[in-house]
Amino acid sequence: MSADVLAFWFLAIVLVGSALAVVLTKNLFHAVLWLALALTGTAGVFLLLDAEFLAAVQLLLYAGGIVTIVVFAIVVTERLVGERLSQTSRRIGGGAVVAGGVLALLLNAMRGQPFPAARPEMAGDLTRLIGETVLTRFVLPFELLAVLMLAALMGAIYFARPDE
Amino acid sequence: MEWLTPLVAPFIVLNAIIGIVTYVTLLERKFAARMQSRVGPYRVGPHGLLQPIADAIKLMMKEDVVPTAVDRPVYNLAPIVFLVPCMLIFATIPFAPGLGVADLNIGILFFLAVSAMEIVGLFMAGWGSNNKYALLSAMRAVNQVISYDLPFIFSALVPVLLAGSLRLSDIAAAQAGLWFVFYPVVGQLAFIAFIVSTVAAENRAPFDILEAESELVAGFRVEYSGMKFAIIQLAEYAHVVGASFLGALLFLGAWAGPGPEWLGPGWFLLKAMFVFLLVTWVRWSFVRIRVDQILALSWKVLLPATLVLLIAAAIVVVWRGTPGV
Repeated sequence: MSADVLAFWFLAIVLVGSALAVVLTKNLFHAVLWLALALTGTAGVFLLLDAEFLAAVQLLLYAGGIVTIVVFAIVVTERLVGERLSQTSRRIGGGAVVAGGVLALLLNAMRGQPFPAARPEMAGDLTRLIGETVLTRFVLPFELLAVLMLAALMGAIYFARPDE
Repeated sequence: MEWLTPLVAPFIVLNAIIGIVTYVTLLERKFAARMQSRVGPYRVGPHGLLQPIADAIKLMMKEDVVPTAVDRPVYNLAPIVFLVPCMLIFATIPFAPGLGVADLNIGILFFLAVSAMEIVGLFMAGWGSNNKYALLSAMRAVNQVISYDLPFIFSALVPVLLAGSLRLSDIAAAQAGLWFVFYPVVGQLAFIAFIVSTVAAENRAPFDILEAESELVAGFRVEYSGMKFAIIQLAEYAHVVGASFLGALLFLGAWAGPGPEWLGPGWFLLKAMFVFLLVTWVRWSFVRIRVDQILALSWKVLLPATLVLLIAAAIVVVWRGTPGV
């Protein structure tokens, strides 16, 4: 077994385990920490596939940024406002059915697709390539996404403003 | 022998960093003492040179007091989660041409991404301690980190634009002719912004509201003692030293200096210590500022300023035709 395969299985176990822990732990704060582990594991998968740029951005935005904001929200509501929040997964059965359905759908879509035995060799500097394609061929979707984000930001500020 | 390198190099770098970090505490104490007309540690060893060793032994022998109300797994894991990113940031720093653990092609992004993870450990410590001071401190830390990560990243991206590469060794090599700190206007302003946001991102005075000893005792580490406290201190200093190395690499030409090539790492260390002393100088010169002043400085001054600097650097690069000096 090569180191790649070993690393994949390790990451797979960490990812699935921490993802399950996110939905199954009662303590909301622990759930967020498991989420941080799951997101870091995702960065590891990206790293394994030679997508270093994606891995770094995954860490920077999700594990660093999003988790911080979620934690902030929990602390503000739970400890400072005094409202006890706990995660109660009441519909475990229904959730399992939906998850199983998605799994079946994915497996069905993947079945019959030939999987290459070896990873395709990536030519050149991937980070440079990402930058070039985003700013040339895909510049319009890129800019549209930026406008969308701006709109979301304005919306958030509109809702957060104090009542007159 | 070939397969040994990935094992040996991190081992050497890790131990060298722990050694440097241990002695940096002495450097800071001596420096601060001189600023206040004191001598600083002097008793242990000649000129107090063995003080850090004595401190380390003392911290190892101390009793590990764990309050009953803590969230045990989180409380125990927090120092480690805090330490790992602070050590990982050294992985991509090249200490001389070809001398380093891993010279990634996204070196600087790796540094920024991993150092952003530090906040998770800090928050685990603040929350897990189940102490109001620790929690308040962690809240303030999040406020501050969210505010100062962006100026820190933007000011670090100015040398990236000037050098035209994310690889740290390329950025260092691009300064062979002219250090970026001497680059007209853009370089100096970016360096100042970098130093200010480093001081803030490291939570040091005047931005140390999260450990404000007069109000929060010691902030998020108030419930930690013994070795766990030592690990948190080690991680904090390692982060400052890592940021100093990054500053020396991005703006001060890294290993460039007079003398033969093997002196390169020495020059790099000297420059990093210069940046460290700059940060320390700021720390011991200013009084703590209020939280609203901290946030206003970030969002109203540093963020727009670094954005304008980034655009200016881009214009310079386009105007000169090719990236790089």
